[in-house]
Amino acid sequence: MPQPMNLAPLYQSVEPMQVDAPPEDNDNTEEPAYIVENPSIDLEWYANCYSGLAKLYRLLYIADHCPSLRQEALKMAINYVQGTYNVYLYQLFHKKLQDSLASSALPDVTGGSVNIQDIPTLDPQWIEQKTKKAALKLEKLDSDLKNYKSNSIKESIRRGHDDLGDHYLDCGDLSNALKCYSRARDYCTSGKHVVNMCLNVIKVSVYLQNWTHVLNFVNKAESTPDFSEGKDGTQAILTRLKCAAGLAELATKRYKSAAKYFLQASFDHCDFPELLSPNNVAMYGGLCALASYDRSELQKNVIFSSSFKLFLELEPQLRDVIFKFYESKYASCLKLLDEMKDNLCLDMYLAPHVNNLYTQVRNRALIQYFSPYLSADMHKMAASLNTTVGELEDELMQLILDGQIEARIDSQNKILFSKDVDQRSSTFLKSMNMGKECQRRTAMLILRAGTLKSQLHVKCPTREPCAEMSIAPGNSTNTPRS
Amino acid sequence: MASPLKQFVTSIQNLSAQGSYREIVDMLNKSSDVLVKYREQLPSVLESLDCQQHSLGVLAVLCLELSTTAPMPPDTFEKAFLKVQEFLSTCNGEQIRLMPDSFAELCHHLTKNLIEFKTPMRGIAILQKAIKKLQMSSTQLTPVHADLCQLCLLAKNFKPALEFLDIDMVSIGQENCSFDAKYFLLYYYYGGMIYAAVKQYHRALFFFEVAITTPASAVSFIMLEAYHKYILISLIIHGKIIPFPKYTSQIVARFIRPLSQAYHDLATAYATNNAEDVRNCLSKYHETYVRDNNVGLTKQVLSSLFKKNIQRLTRVFLTLSLSDVATKAQLSGPQQAVVYLIKMIEAGEIFATINQKDGMVMFHDDPEKYNNPEMMKKLENEISLCMDLNRKINQMEEEIDVNPQYVKKANSNQEEDLSPGQGLKMSYSSMNMPGVKE
Repeated sequence: MPQPMNLAPLYQSVEPMQVDAPPEDNDNTEEPAYIVENPSIDLEWYANCYSGLAKLYRLLYIADHCPSLRQEALKMAINYVQGTYNVYLYQLFHKKLQDSLASSALPDVTGGSVNIQDIPTLDPQWIEQKTKKAALKLEKLDSDLKNYKSNSIKESIRRGHDDLGDHYLDCGDLSNALKCYSRARDYCTSGKHVVNMCLNVIKVSVYLQNWTHVLNFVNKAESTPDFSEGKDGTQAILTRLKCAAGLAELATKRYKSAAKYFLQASFDHCDFPELLSPNNVAMYGGLCALASYDRSELQKNVIFSSSFKLFLELEPQLRDVIFKFYESKYASCLKLLDEMKDNLCLDMYLAPHVNNLYTQVRNRALIQYFSPYLSADMHKMAASLNTTVGELEDELMQLILDGQIEARIDSQNKILFSKDVDQRSSTFLKSMNMGKECQRRTAMLILRAGTLKSQLHVKCPTREPCAEMSIAPGNSTNTPRS
Repeated sequence: MASPLKQFVTSIQNLSAQGSYREIVDMLNKSSDVLVKYREQLPSVLESLDCQQHSLGVLAVLCLELSTTAPMPPDTFEKAFLKVQEFLSTCNGEQIRLMPDSFAELCHHLTKNLIEFKTPMRGIAILQKAIKKLQMSSTQLTPVHADLCQLCLLAKNFKPALEFLDIDMVSIGQENCSFDAKYFLLYYYYGGMIYAAVKQYHRALFFFEVAITTPASAVSFIMLEAYHKYILISLIIHGKIIPFPKYTSQIVARFIRPLSQAYHDLATAYATNNAEDVRNCLSKYHETYVRDNNVGLTKQVLSSLFKKNIQRLTRVFLTLSLSDVATKAQLSGPQQAVVYLIKMIEAGEIFATINQKDGMVMFHDDPEKYNNPEMMKKLENEISLCMDLNRKINQMEEEIDVNPQYVKKANSNQEEDLSPGQGLKMSYSSMNMPGVKE
C-alpha cells in the first residue's frame, strides 16, 4: 500500500513510535505497482460504506490503481474532503485530478463522460479559510486543555486531549492525533475510558498502518475489566476490536488468526465506517478462512456459523466460492475466485495479499483433491483445477517438497502416486541419525568440559613476541590452579 | 668449558641420579641466564649429557639452540635437527612432562624451521613420537598436536595426523598447567582442514565448531578463518548454516559475523536453491575467496547445490526424463545430468536407474530395509559408542561429585539455599543427554 507511505514524509512531526517502524510496513513498500483494468465496482456505493479518512484513503487507492475509475474517485474524494480540515489531502487530490485530466485529454479527446463543468477546481480561498479555521480551533482546544490542566480535573483533561486528537485527525495530522489520544491514557478513571482511549489509538494506528501497535492496544482493551455498561455496547466494542485485530493479522500475513478474529465479529454490531465495512469483514474473513482452514474447520466455523452467514450474504460471490470449495468443485471455485480478483485488488488492505491468499487456496484445493486417492491421473487433475499438466507438476513439486502432500510423481505416465512411508525403515533411519547426533554432542560436551577445566581462553595477546620469551626456559613455571 | 656451565652440568647429573627432577626444573628456571651467556659452548654441554637420563637438561639446551630469531644456516640446522630427532625419540617422558611448555616450544621451533626449509615431511614421524612422549593418555591434547597437523597439511600427507585427529580429546594439556589457546585453536583449525581435504565433512564441521565455540574475549584470526570454513562446509553437507550452540562466545556474533559478509551472502544465495544466484555470488566475492584460500570449498558448495537439487527431485518424482532433471536441477543439459546422477548413484547418495533408451530416470526408495546382520552389527556398534560416551559422562559427574571443593561448596549452599548448589550440579548432570540409548 504505497499511498499512506507517500504521505508520511509530509508530516513535519514524526510520531515517536514510528522510529522503530515494524517490519511489515517495509514489506508493503516492496509491493509492485499494478493497474486494475476492468473493475466491476459501484464506486458510489463503495464510498458510502466508509467515512472519514478510511473513505479518502480507499478512494485514493482506487484512483492510484484503476485508471478507469480515477477521475470519478478523485471527484468524490474532493467533495468529501471539503467537509473536513484536511488541506493536504485536498491539494493532493486536486493535483492528481489535474494530472489525470492532462494525461487522458491527450490520447482521447472524445472522452465524452468528462464534462469540464463537472471538474472541481482548486479553490485557494477554501484552503486559506480552512487553514485559518483549523488554526483557530486548535488554539481554542489548546487553551481549553491548559485551562483544564490548571484546574486539574482529570475527566476534563481527558476529554480535552480527545478533542484535540479528533481535531488533528480531522486535519489529517495522524502522528499528532496519536500523541493526543495516547496522552489521554494518564487521565482515564474508568474501564470505559481506557477502552475508549484504546479504540482511538487503534483507529489512528490503522490509518498509520502500525499493526503491532494495533494489536497491542486491542490486547490492552480486551484485558480491561468490565469495559462497558450494557450488553449491546460491549458487543459493538468487541466486534470493533476483533475486526481491528483481524486487519492487523491480515496485514502481517497471519491469515489463520486473521480469519479467527474476523469470524468472531457480530453482524448486528458491525458499524464502524471509519474502519471497515461489513462487506470487508465478510471478504477478509471468508478469504482468510478459505486459505488457512481445513475442510472440517471451514465447515464448523464458516459454513455453519450463524453469525458469519449474515456477513456472507453481503458477498454472495464469496459465499458461492466457499460452498463450491466445500463441495470439492474446484474448477468453478477457482474460476469464481479469478472473477473476483480485480475488485479485490482495489481494496487497499487486501490487495497486497490477494496473490498469497489465492495461492494458498489453490494449494489447499490440490491437497484436498488428492487426499482420498492412492494414485491420480494428472491429466484429469489438471482439467478439474483449470491448469495444464506442466504447471500442475510444478505446483505439486512445491507441495511435496514442503511436505504438504505425501506423494511422488510419475512424470513419464503423468500419474501422482501417494507415497507409502515404511515406518520401520524411517524409524531406524531416524534413530541412527539421532544416535550420531547424540555422539557428536556428547563428544563436544566432554571436550568443552575439558576446555573449561583447563581455563582455556582466547584473549588479546599481552605477552612479548615469541623470540624473547623462548630464551627463558623458566617460562614453564607451573602456576598451580585451583 | 666455563665453570658456571661445568657446575650446571654436574648438578644436573647429580640431581638426575638422585631422581629429584623437580629440583632440576627449579634450577633450570634460575640458570637460564647462564645458558644464554655461554651460548657458544652449549654443544659441549650437550655432549656431556645423556638424552635418556638427563632429558630435562638436554631439553633446556636444545630449546635455547633452536630459538634463534634469525634464520638458521642449513648445516647448523641439520646438526640441530639430528640432535632433536635423537632427543625426541629417546628422551624420558616422565622428566619432560615436568617441563611441558619448553618441550612444546622445542617442537614449535622445529616445526617452524622445517617449514622454512620446505621439508615438512621430515618432521612428521618425529612429532608423532614427541606427542606420545608428552601425552599421559591418548585423549590428552598437547600443543604439539597443532604442529603435527600443520606439517601434515603442508606435506599433503594426512594419514599420520588422522591417527591423532580421530581420537576425541577429553583433557587439554596437563593438569594445573596453562595451555596456549593459540595451539588449541590451531589444532582444531588444521584438523578441520585435514578432514575437509579427505572429504570427511561432518568431522571437519565438528572441528571448526570446536574452534569457533572456544571461550573468547578477543577476535582471533584463527577463529575467523574457521568461521568462514564452517559456513562453507555447513552449506556443503546441510545446505544451510547450522546455528551455533548457546555457549558460543559473544565475540562470534558481534565481531566475526560482520567480517564474514561474503560467506553469509553465499548462504543466502544457496538458500534460494538457484544455481545462478550462487554463481553470481561466487563471482562477486571471488577475490575474497581467493584471499581466504577457500576457492576449492566454494566450488564444492556449488556442486553440492546441484546434488541437493537432484536429491530434492528424488523425493518428488518416481520417473523423470533426463532433460527435465537438467532443467529442474539447473544443470547445463541431459549430459551433465547423467554425469551427476551416475556420480551420486555410485556414492550411494541417491537410488536411481537411468533408462538410456527413452531417456528416463527412475528414482527408487532406499533399498536398505534394516533387516540384515550387517545393519544389526552397525547398530550395535553405534549403541555401544553411545553407551561408552554415557559412561564417560557419568564418570566425569562422579569425579565432580567427590571433588572436595565441590562438596564443600554444595554443602555450604545447602545450608543457606538449596538452589545454587543444585544448579551447579544440574548443569553438569544435564550433560548426561536424554537421547543416550542404553
